[in-house]
Amino acid sequence: MSIDAKLALDAFKIDEESHIQIDQTRCKERCQTRYCLYVCPAQVYTLGQEGEILIRYEGCLECGACTIACDTTLAWNYPRGGFGVQYRFG
Amino acid sequence: MQIVVCLKQIPDLQQIRIKRDTREPVLEGLPFLLGDMDKNALEEAVRIVEQRGGKVTALALGSPKLRDTIKEALAMGADEALLLIDPAFADSDTMTTAKILAKAIEKREYDLILCGEGSTDNYSGQVPSRLAEILGLPQVTYVRQLEFTEGGLRATRDMEEALEIVEVSLPALVSVTSEISEPRLPSLIQILKAAKKPLQEWTSEDLALSAHEVGKEASSLEVISNLAPEQERKNITLEGEVDEVVEQLTDAFTREGVIAR
Amino acid sequence: MAEAEKVEVVIVGAGLAGLACAYHLAAAGLEVLVIERGDFPGSKNVTGGRLYLHPLRSFFPHLWEEAPLERHVTKERLTAMGKGSSVTVELSSERFKEKPYHSHTILRAKFDPWLAERAAQKGAIIVPKSRVDDLLWQEGRVIGIVASEAEIHADVVVAADGAFSFMVEKAGLGKRRKPQDYAVGAKEVIELTSGAIEERFGLSHGEGAAQLFFGSLTEGMFGGGFLYTNIDTISLGVVVGINALMEKEPGFELHRLLDSFKERPEVKPLIEGGHPVEYSAHIVPEGGLESMPQVYGHGILVVGDAAGLALNTGLIVRGMDFALASGALAAQTIMEAKKRNDFSPASLSRYEELLKESFVLKGLETFREVPRFLQNPRLFNLYPQALSESLERLMWIGEEPKEKISTTLWREARRAFRFSAVRDLLRVWRI
Ligand SMILES: Cc1cc2nc3c(=O)[nH]c(=O)nc-3n(C[C@H](O)[C@H](O)[C@H](O)COP(=O)(O)OP(=O)(O)OC[C@H]3O[C@@H](n4cnc5c(N)ncnc54)[C@H](O)[C@@H]3O)c2cc1C
Repeated sequence: MSIDAKLALDAFKIDEESHIQIDQTRCKERCQTRYCLYVCPAQVYTLGQEGEILIRYEGCLECGACTIACDTTLAWNYPRGGFGVQYRFG
Repeated sequence: MQIVVCLKQIPDLQQIRIKRDTREPVLEGLPFLLGDMDKNALEEAVRIVEQRGGKVTALALGSPKLRDTIKEALAMGADEALLLIDPAFADSDTMTTAKILAKAIEKREYDLILCGEGSTDNYSGQVPSRLAEILGLPQVTYVRQLEFTEGGLRATRDMEEALEIVEVSLPALVSVTSEISEPRLPSLIQILKAAKKPLQEWTSEDLALSAHEVGKEASSLEVISNLAPEQERKNITLEGEVDEVVEQLTDAFTREGVIAR
Repeated sequence: MAEAEKVEVVIVGAGLAGLACAYHLAAAGLEVLVIERGDFPGSKNVTGGRLYLHPLRSFFPHLWEEAPLERHVTKERLTAMGKGSSVTVELSSERFKEKPYHSHTILRAKFDPWLAERAAQKGAIIVPKSRVDDLLWQEGRVIGIVASEAEIHADVVVAADGAFSFMVEKAGLGKRRKPQDYAVGAKEVIELTSGAIEERFGLSHGEGAAQLFFGSLTEGMFGGGFLYTNIDTISLGVVVGINALMEKEPGFELHRLLDSFKERPEVKPLIEGGHPVEYSAHIVPEGGLESMPQVYGHGILVVGDAAGLALNTGLIVRGMDFALASGALAAQTIMEAKKRNDFSPASLSRYEELLKESFVLKGLETFREVPRFLQNPRLFNLYPQALSESLERLMWIGEEPKEKISTTLWREARRAFRFSAVRDLLRVWRI
């Protein structure tokens, strides 16, 4: 089951503004490991063609694993109240 | 100016889950919200009272969950809430609902009744007109703008292709579309203050309605089924260079009649 | 930011810890405001699925009778997975069938709203859809919070905001978050009929099963799998250390791990024909006592996951009971502090004492060594593999005549258990 199919099971209320920010230059210069690509259970982070990190904040499950793993540049917050994933089972 | 706003609580449609085998929506456990256009009506009422003085009463009929749901209306600026909660009211159709609401409104003083044009869930859009009829009030529908005149209101009606401007004397019932206002997001402080606003509850007994005048028994409309549309996915994967794929995709869309060439 | 309001207590987060605290404070007549960022309490919360009720009975007498619990667990299973084989130990006991039941499976989006309603009945005000953005300070002491541009003042703020706690960070009570102190879990809820669940797990009506897995399913990484039966769904998931995920070469995504777990012959038939209805993820504090933040400050207390109160021994996963109990103990502390009208650290340190006297910190103290012990990779590759392979050789009848059992055992033991194993065994003994 693809990650997209998994995420499609959930209800998301999407804010226009991303709750995840990244400094691309710093990220490219300082980070070789790119842990965010692997620790995120929702595959929010993917690698772009120029080696930049693409962020699909819309499908974030708000666990925070990425910020714990990244010590370079990731600025992550919870989405604003009433936005983001809403679990119906939990 | 005494304004009564009718509000309906509806399940949060963004969170509805459809059962795969039966296509039934799972409503159990869903959080409730106030109807979108009902909130437009409330916003308009609050703005009128802010400018001209008076009182806004939020009137709603529904399950006990209303006690929670209605807090949003109070936080948005309604001065008081009047809730009609009774197990006997369950499964009332639009006519019976209008009858019950009318009974409650009759016990109040009012200059203006505001409703949303339709509810976000069923959108049958019948309650406002039925209510006006029962109360013997003039009604203006599809209103996107309201102004006060000497003897009453001037309302701009949205006729899709045209706008119609009409005047009406008060008391009156006005049903509004979403263009009329942008409902405010109440702040935390307003939410806190709302908890202290007056909230009254009436049952069928308070309205002098007997059990067979309300609910399913009194309703002539019967819901036979409520199912999600059948969804068939074609699951076609297009492969190749971007240009080729775009070409294939437009072809596929044209074949399906989604777009015209 | 002109608007400001004052209440006695603000609780950040309507999870189990926050709601338990609100319930007790409101029952005692205090003015309590609980702020939750989700659409409703329970909408952001993820757990594996099992709540141990016995430790909680004295904190909440009679509360659980009408709670929306799923199934009471009567069957415990533990599976050690090798690459192509596995060993499962199953424990059923009549004791698990006696009332009041030992443990129950739950789903948070059902359970938390129920608890919130109980707290609201006692008078707590619960405001969902609001995120607390900051703490308010005055002369080194926390005097309230900021949420959606509004300031709410309070005698005391309770940080109940879960494993990734911004409040602990802002209050300066925590240490730097280290990847080895957290695991991340991914879970699917799979819909099945309750009849199918009872048949597949051999359960009577209303009974439930709990199964934990370790070994090759995590590809040698620190972690494991879990399965809990609910009324008409199964909660199935994997939990892996964040550090382990970071060090894995080549990288491996958690959701793919979950997919291959679902394909394992030990799991597949159990969920066959079921429809996944939800995918969720959450972090779990795994650092134990060593990585706990300071649980009190001037005008602030920390409860539940925010305080790092979770325990994973490999056999048992706990956090929800700790969250509920710590919330209740924080409430007790606040009531006492209120009488003295003193919310200084000295006064609020009572909370830590209460935690130490309770099953919460006693439990974490007993298993102090576990987090470091579990960092040992042999637990997740060598031993489960060896165990299932050895049993397989014992059971196998091939063309050659079978050797003596003792010979097989001896050879197997020598293959798997070297020097390090003795050391590992000694460490288990100490736990
Ligand atoms: C995969 C997995 C399996 C587990 N299995 C088990 C198990 O079987 N048994 C067990 O006992 N424990 C288990 N646990 C642990 C257990 O789930 C947690 O210990 C428990 O949920 C902690 O409760 P809490 O109230 O402290 O935190 P949470 O339930 O996380 O609640 C925190 C709340 O705070 C809210 N919040 C956060 N920040 C803000 C903010 N700024 N403003 C407003 N609101 C905010 C969140 O939305 C959330 O509702 C498991 C955990 C995981 C992840």
